[in-house]
Amino acid sequence: MRIERSTRGTVLVVALRGELDGAVASEVHDELDGLVAGGGGGVALDLGGMTYVSSAGLRFLLLVHHHARRRGVRLALAGVRPDVHEVMAATGFIDAFVVADSVDDAVEALVR
Amino acid sequence: MGADRWPDFRHSDLVAGYVTAHDPVRGVTDLRTSDDRAVRMTCSPDVSAEFLRNLGDPYRDASGRLPQLLVPGRHVLARGVVTPTGGTYTFEAHRLVFPTDVEGRYAFEEGGWWTRQLRELARFYRRAQFGTGPVDFADYRTVLRLGGDKGGNHVQETDTISRLVYGMASAYLLTGDEDLLDVAERGTDYLREHARFADRDHDLVYWYHGLDVRDGSESKLFASEFGDDHLAIPAYEQIYALTGPTQTYRVTGDPRVLDDVDATLRLFSRFFHDDVRGGWYSHVDPVTLSPHAESLGRNRSRKNWNSVGDHAPAYLFNILLATGDRRHAAMLEECFDLIVRHFPEEGSPFVQERFFGDWSPDRAWGWQQDRAVVGHNLKIAWNLTRMNALRPKASYRALADRIGRTMPALAGDGQRGGWFDVVDRTLAEGETHHRLVWHDRKAWWQQEQGVLAYLALAGNTGDEFFLRQARESEAFYNAFFLDHDEGGVYFNVLADGTPYLLGTERLKGSHSMSLYHAAELCLLAAVYDRLLVRGEPLELWFRPRPDAFADRVLRVAPDVLPPGRVRLDQVEVDGSPYRAFDPGAMTVALPDSEKDLTVRVRLLPG
Repeated sequence: MRIERSTRGTVLVVALRGELDGAVASEVHDELDGLVAGGGGGVALDLGGMTYVSSAGLRFLLLVHHHARRRGVRLALAGVRPDVHEVMAATGFIDAFVVADSVDDAVEALVR
Repeated sequence: MGADRWPDFRHSDLVAGYVTAHDPVRGVTDLRTSDDRAVRMTCSPDVSAEFLRNLGDPYRDASGRLPQLLVPGRHVLARGVVTPTGGTYTFEAHRLVFPTDVEGRYAFEEGGWWTRQLRELARFYRRAQFGTGPVDFADYRTVLRLGGDKGGNHVQETDTISRLVYGMASAYLLTGDEDLLDVAERGTDYLREHARFADRDHDLVYWYHGLDVRDGSESKLFASEFGDDHLAIPAYEQIYALTGPTQTYRVTGDPRVLDDVDATLRLFSRFFHDDVRGGWYSHVDPVTLSPHAESLGRNRSRKNWNSVGDHAPAYLFNILLATGDRRHAAMLEECFDLIVRHFPEEGSPFVQERFFGDWSPDRAWGWQQDRAVVGHNLKIAWNLTRMNALRPKASYRALADRIGRTMPALAGDGQRGGWFDVVDRTLAEGETHHRLVWHDRKAWWQQEQGVLAYLALAGNTGDEFFLRQARESEAFYNAFFLDHDEGGVYFNVLADGTPYLLGTERLKGSHSMSLYHAAELCLLAAVYDRLLVRGEPLELWFRPRPDAFADRVLRVAPDVLPPGRVRLDQVEVDGSPYRAFDPGAMTVALPDSEKDLTVRVRLLPG
């Protein structure tokens, strides 16, 4: 799992590349949590390069969402692949997030 | 009683006792309290006297019946003023509550008392949450104010929805009111659709802590938001998420609910259970589902009463009643074998409630320290008695009996009635009473445990001591916890029965309160009192779906009761007599149907 960071105006874009399972989640927890904490203008999580997410990975994303919410940071998911989207929908998970087709749409949703 | 038994200052107080003598000329009544102390009472000139009344009942004045009521042996709850007087005291009563009628029959032993109370409670919550129109759980809120109105809080806690659902399903069981079952079914569906996380990797289910439905959008609250369990998944919340759906399953047989229960049991088995040393851990990490994660802090590798014992009353007895599945009976046996093995301790009459992974006691955890929650002790006595009816063991009977015989003197209020909250488990040197940790308030749910423990013990053993404790507990609860003005029951009362209405204790829908304990009390008090204690019939209602129960067998036993004590006498299906039932097993062979069936059953003692 690689984490890449960029900005679009006030929005922080965090791209997750690779597979997200429980072990990876534990490794990247602090880094991602720190990025989200600093994303006062909103954070777009770009999942377009995420090839696999386990249920532990989903729970990790929910915790990231939880932390963002408590800090008043708006969070959106972008580029969710159909198979990942299907897993998220099946768990009842997808409703928790603002979901956009692309990073551009996510940024627009966050600054709206 | 000598003056040294009451503090030497003026104060209001409550005395609950039995009349030993009454002198109408002098206006003096002698009482004997539950803890066998004598109190002399006079009645003020403006004393008001009333009969105990149920929710929905009008005030029933008893002032004109005092000559018939103040007779030896009669139970009375007297609130008055204590005044030190010349080395002794006077106790002048201003309000008398009689839990019996003039013939001495307890009001709550009148046939429909608990059924009517549950109907009133359910209607209060139905109205408070959804008004009088269609039921939409999008409107549900956990925080309900004293009168049932909603504030600005937009949280829907999974467990409070589940508890409300439990109460509604229980109300249907006793009343057959389909509007209340509609609430239960819609709530069950809502939980499935909004609060359930189906983990495909492990083929199991767990339940979100809750939902925040602010501004029309829905945010999942995944890990617990409570201070004791912050950012963990506590077993306690997963357990109570099953409470309402399971009780609804007893009524409807919805196979989706059984799938959810089985999938949640797999969660308990695979991630909470300690396969080496037995028992279930209290918390798991929300990402790894490990009970040993560093992130759990003080909850890492811990077991407690809730994670080991609360399975039983919250859902496990009830799913067993609906399925008859041996796996559920085996899990219950594991729960109670662990309780009798690890919870009692030499040196304290109270059980231990918190443990490390190796079962050594944890006496430093948070607020609990080395303290006993009175209601947990009573709950253990109650549920051991149920378990003994399922799989009799001397160890179950011995611990239930020991708790039942010792608690009144240690944790009950022998002068006023009712049960205290949290006490120190051990006495310091020179002390004669276990210290009340924070206050002398009495919580509604702990009174429930007292009533059910002693009714179950009395019904199973026939012991008069237990029956007296049950009646005294019922009298205190019904006299002081029913909110006749706003509806529902109070969270806490002061020691003398005055409602305590500050802070979160004003609320009516909150965590653990939302129609679970109060409904459980009504349902099971009716079951134990009618069928086991007084030997009267009881009717229950069921509403099985066309796809209910794979074997099309409806199990109608109202609780786990001693074998042979209760039988199924009559069955009606959609209003017509129906004969395909087994009286001893209390099962009904349901006919095939393309629609829901309404099944009314009549149970008889013996």
